[in-house]
Amino acid sequence: MFFNSFEYLFFLPLVFLLFYVTPGRFRWSLLLWASLLFYSALGSWYLLLVLSAVAILTYAAGRLLGLASTETHKRLILWAGILGNVAILVAMKYLTFLADSAQFVVGLFSGQYEAPHLALLVSIGVSYYVFQAISYLNDIYLEIEQPEDHFGYFFLYLAFFPKLMQGPIERAGDLLPQLKKPYHFDYDNMRFGALLFATGLFKKVVIADRLGIYVNAVYGDLASFSGLPLLAATYVYAFQIYFDFSAYTDMALGAARLFNIRLTDNFNSPYLATSIADFWRRWHITFSRWILDYIFKPLQMRWRNAGSVGIAAALLVTFLVSGLWHGAGWGFIIWGLLHGLFMGCSVFYKPYQKKLHGRLGLVKTTRLKVWQVFVTFNLVCFAWIFFRADTMADALYVVQHLFVFSGNQNLLFSGFREYELAIVLIGTASYYACRYIYTRRVDLFESKVWLRWGIYYYICLIAVLFCVKRASGFIYFGF
Amino acid sequence: MNIKEVLEPIFRQVFDDEQIKLAAEMTADDVDGWDSLSHVNLIVAIESKLKIRFTQKELLTFRCVGDLMRASAEKAGLPVA
Repeated sequence: MFFNSFEYLFFLPLVFLLFYVTPGRFRWSLLLWASLLFYSALGSWYLLLVLSAVAILTYAAGRLLGLASTETHKRLILWAGILGNVAILVAMKYLTFLADSAQFVVGLFSGQYEAPHLALLVSIGVSYYVFQAISYLNDIYLEIEQPEDHFGYFFLYLAFFPKLMQGPIERAGDLLPQLKKPYHFDYDNMRFGALLFATGLFKKVVIADRLGIYVNAVYGDLASFSGLPLLAATYVYAFQIYFDFSAYTDMALGAARLFNIRLTDNFNSPYLATSIADFWRRWHITFSRWILDYIFKPLQMRWRNAGSVGIAAALLVTFLVSGLWHGAGWGFIIWGLLHGLFMGCSVFYKPYQKKLHGRLGLVKTTRLKVWQVFVTFNLVCFAWIFFRADTMADALYVVQHLFVFSGNQNLLFSGFREYELAIVLIGTASYYACRYIYTRRVDLFESKVWLRWGIYYYICLIAVLFCVKRASGFIYFGF
Repeated sequence: MNIKEVLEPIFRQVFDDEQIKLAAEMTADDVDGWDSLSHVNLIVAIESKLKIRFTQKELLTFRCVGDLMRASAEKAGLPVA
């Protein structure tokens, strides 16, 4: 059951109605059962077992952490909980990749080894709630949070359906108190949630899926393209993945808002970043905060006596983990390592860069900012090549042929012509225009009826009329 | 000598700013140039000056300069203020 499916458009209002009429003390239970039903609708029966295993393991480890009296016991329990969760994640996502990689390495030497055939397991959502579980245990260990006594609320913290499949990766301190707070109907929350959900759906079915037509056509037949079409596909993919993931986030936040739950926003204009570090403060924010707090900072402190080299190494390891988290493939690993390399290099050149900007009188100037945004955007787009390509060979083909301007250099082709381009441009412009109106210019809910309902009808009508007919899942479901 | 009098010169040297005046509620957002590299330099400089060593847990739980001052004072056996 995807967010952009008809089933979900029935499921969400039905759950809300049942939630509304349910007595207060049972509402958490309704949300939990709805979340488990939502997860089971994916059709892979073992996913509920995996979610339950993570919930039981983490809840128990959290309670034990709260009871442990010595630092040694606490560390032991913490690491047992973390390793248990990591083992579940590895089993669900990486066993096939590890087996295939082992076959490749051994095959280099002997050519005799054949890896056991392991069926690819569906692992939707596992990466997200395992990371949530690990953050929960860490926060108890660091005495930022107290262990949760109520297993039902804890299970709901992991399983809450608006954020179950693709995040945001919520901290216990942010989400648990909201889940426990008594519900009082809030009309503004309900209509804001509905509006956010609708605009997310608009972004997904009108813009993101349409950009995907272009990207899939190029990446599905790379040998037929070089030069301008490859360049265009590179930039178009950057916007496809942004609109796709941010659309999901809007729909998740909107759905949660119906229940008076405020989830964390994952995006803040990432392609206006002035450096790779700034990009990661704006892209998939809950994930980047997670890797910053639970991987980078501990490594940085552990290697502090190695100065800049220690920090650079910590960044490289952090982004290697980031790549691995996204998927069991060398493309993701290279993508992560590229970001680690970009960040690691900046540790060494940043002090000189700062002095140069000062000498040239560029500090805090617009032209410097424009330049930085341009460079950062291109570095990010380059790394996306490895993220999108189906194989390393494909990624290398794209890199080698980006500036080979031979053969057909037409940017449009059958399947994506002027009509599709016009829809994308008009859809994007009108999305940002609507957003500008209701975030900067007016209080939408206090505005005139014609403006308010005009925006509502516009969003829904355009989404229905111009949605890409072939429904597709969200890109980040795969991670 | 109290811990504030010991740490203030270190902060001024690490961030190259003679105007820095430490306050308990101060955080990284309040100091220009306080990034991951300068944070590491600051911790190493404090540990070297006071001949102390922070545990991993302490380093990860510092939320403001006040936390850093209290932990440093306790380890070095100096008054906070």
